[in-house]
Amino acid sequence: DPAISKGNNCLDAAKACNLNDTCKKLRSAYITPCTSSVSNEVCNKRKCHKALRQFFDKVPPKHSYGMLFCSCRDVACTERRRQTIVPVCSYEDREKPNCLNLQDTCKTNYICRSRLADFIANCQPETQSISSCLKENYADCLLAYSGLIGTVMTPNYLNYNSLSVAPWCDCSNSGNDLEECLKFLNFFQDNICLKNAIQAFGNGTDVNVW
Amino acid sequence: KGRRGQRGKSRDCVLTEMHLNVTDLGLGYSTKEELIFRYCSGSCETSGTLYDQILNNLTQNRKLVSDKIRPQPCCRPIAYDDDVSFLDDDLSTYHVLRKHSAKKCGCV
Repeated sequence: DPAISKGNNCLDAAKACNLNDTCKKLRSAYITPCTSSVSNEVCNKRKCHKALRQFFDKVPPKHSYGMLFCSCRDVACTERRRQTIVPVCSYEDREKPNCLNLQDTCKTNYICRSRLADFIANCQPETQSISSCLKENYADCLLAYSGLIGTVMTPNYLNYNSLSVAPWCDCSNSGNDLEECLKFLNFFQDNICLKNAIQAFGNGTDVNVW
Repeated sequence: KGRRGQRGKSRDCVLTEMHLNVTDLGLGYSTKEELIFRYCSGSCETSGTLYDQILNNLTQNRKLVSDKIRPQPCCRPIAYDDDVSFLDDDLSTYHVLRKHSAKKCGCV
């Protein structure tokens, strides 16, 4: 399969990470808890989340964003990008909660509450603006998005042919709150500001911001 | 044998690094990722404990004859580098290598 044998941006970012002492160390520091099974569980999710937060807090964006927001042309690349956060541990769960319930859970935690507020403020779409962002600042939007990784709101790519992302939740059983739930979920899934910010980083078209 | 041409000593035990593909390590992993491998090399002639000096003397005056004795210390890692991790070519399995690379060398 030529699509798999060829190199890609996400692979290049992983290589660059392992050649940098800080990135290499903090990458292994989350891979280890995120892939170690404990007493019938896939992993210790709490430890995995904590190590992921440290990775995104301490590793320079050049490396951490390089792996998370790399631009892709084939499945080998997009699948590697989706695997960056070790979704089987940090993302997926046995049950998918309702997004509004998940939001309530998030709000009971100081870190999650503040990071979700940052995300909603900094990735607010605005169709009238050139960047498609109300704040016109891609770096702040990506920082806020990556800040959610390691909280109960941990988002990830949904499939390998788009930049659509979402936390592990859906809007079934929303009752009267269906509209509000969809609005919340679509802020992740269908957010032109966030998509443009990811694309700009991947293409290196917004270089002066970093 | 082993007589050094100049008065200068052969290079002392130091840490050296090389940039490799993970597959170069020969551990059987299939991945396209890369890493820095650090190893210890150099001589340990100038260092050593009194123990080493005595062993040397005993060997030289033939009070001790055995090919299983090493009268000089070896240049070996005394601390290991941080773990390194990589994603397998199956794009779903991660591997972590521990104590795979030297961080500090010593004559031990």
